[in-house]
Amino acid sequence: MPRRSRRPRTTLLLLVLVAVTIITLDARGSFHVITSGLKSVAADAFAPVRSGVDDIVEPIGSFLAGSVHYGAVRQQNQKLQAEIGQLKQQIASQADADQAMQQLTALLNLPFLANLQTVPAEVTDYDISDFAATVDISVGRADGVQLNMPVVGAGGLVGLVVQANHDTATVRLITDGQSSVGVRYGPAPGSLAVLTGEGSGKPLSADLVPNNTPLTKGEQFATSGLQGALFPPGIPVASVVTARTGATATQESVVLQPLADLAHLRYVSVVLWGPAA
Amino acid sequence: MTPRDLARVALVVFAFVVVQQTLVLDLRVGGVHPDIMILLPIVAGVVGGPSRGATMGFGAGLVADLFLPTPFGLSALVGSLIGFAVGGAALALDRSAWWLPPVAALGGSALYEMAYAMLGSVLGQPQMLHVDLLRIVVLVSVVNAVLALPALRLVSWALPEASTEGMPTSAVASGVLR
Repeated sequence: MPRRSRRPRTTLLLLVLVAVTIITLDARGSFHVITSGLKSVAADAFAPVRSGVDDIVEPIGSFLAGSVHYGAVRQQNQKLQAEIGQLKQQIASQADADQAMQQLTALLNLPFLANLQTVPAEVTDYDISDFAATVDISVGRADGVQLNMPVVGAGGLVGLVVQANHDTATVRLITDGQSSVGVRYGPAPGSLAVLTGEGSGKPLSADLVPNNTPLTKGEQFATSGLQGALFPPGIPVASVVTARTGATATQESVVLQPLADLAHLRYVSVVLWGPAA
Repeated sequence: MTPRDLARVALVVFAFVVVQQTLVLDLRVGGVHPDIMILLPIVAGVVGGPSRGATMGFGAGLVADLFLPTPFGLSALVGSLIGFAVGGAALALDRSAWWLPPVAALGGSALYEMAYAMLGSVLGQPQMLHVDLLRIVVLVSVVNAVLALPALRLVSWALPEASTEGMPTSAVASGVLR
């Protein structure tokens, strides 16, 4: 048998031990502050690089796209030239801007927020990891955004800030498997449940709903706002899609659809609220 | 490794991060995007053997973890294991074969994604198994197989001297590896 050096195995063992130690410590509060800070520094330092590369790549992409579709672009250009006179007279050409304004206006007048202060933000990126349901937004600590602040959109709750950088933040959506939201439902004051995510694009499920609870399709669940909760009370979260009780189940199986359109988020509002506030 | 080698490795890792965070994140197929950071430990394993594959996997993984919402250190852990495994497997094969990097990238990336989901689930993130893992594995593996040869050139530039670590001493003595 040929002899092999033991060094690679020792190296691997050391690296694995260090990595497992880091993961374990990261799961604890004090060390997580350090890793969160490192992530924040990396995101802030990387933002200008990203912006610079985007500025370079976008025109090149447009140029290449234009070259590939030259014939179509030329034909379209002629058609557009003919329509310029009409278009100049139509304010409707601002449709996209109007739509964006409508979304922003809707965000500024969300009835369930009452007097809570909010910061509007644009969604800049979806799902930066294939294994987590998150979005990046265009506001950060400089705008008053802090860790664990709720984020809402037109319709209801969107998620929670899990990373606050200087000018940007990462929001964990309520559909993420790590997300859980304490909610109330029905007319009875003591009807409490926990909604958990099942992954990006998938519906939510409810825990702690007792067997044979009468739930109708479309019934809304809203944040409970119990003491120590991560969300203020009364924010609509999801509506019932199906509810059924199994013969041997200990609780009702409830499937819910988020009320905010998480697949097409464009603008959201960060609620400047914390459990201690 | 000399400081010059370290600087080259840092430059290559930085280039991969820039490409991943700017271009690759926008390339989505069915809601899934490729992950070229995985190529670093795989190609380093092919070029430099298991020790360098594992070390590259750890370093590049930690850098990747800075930009991910998943547990900090998970990419480093999986990267170390995959870099080591690919490096070990490459020792038994002809490292100069043109097909080795794409095949290593294909298999290594698939293993990486599956190990990532499973270890993440074991380490308190059960939702990581509730994703469309097949789609992620196929997309990431195929894209990385296509990009393996350019990545190999870059990593070879950063790690100019092939390692003999882990090779049978008889093979080292006979000069099989450069």
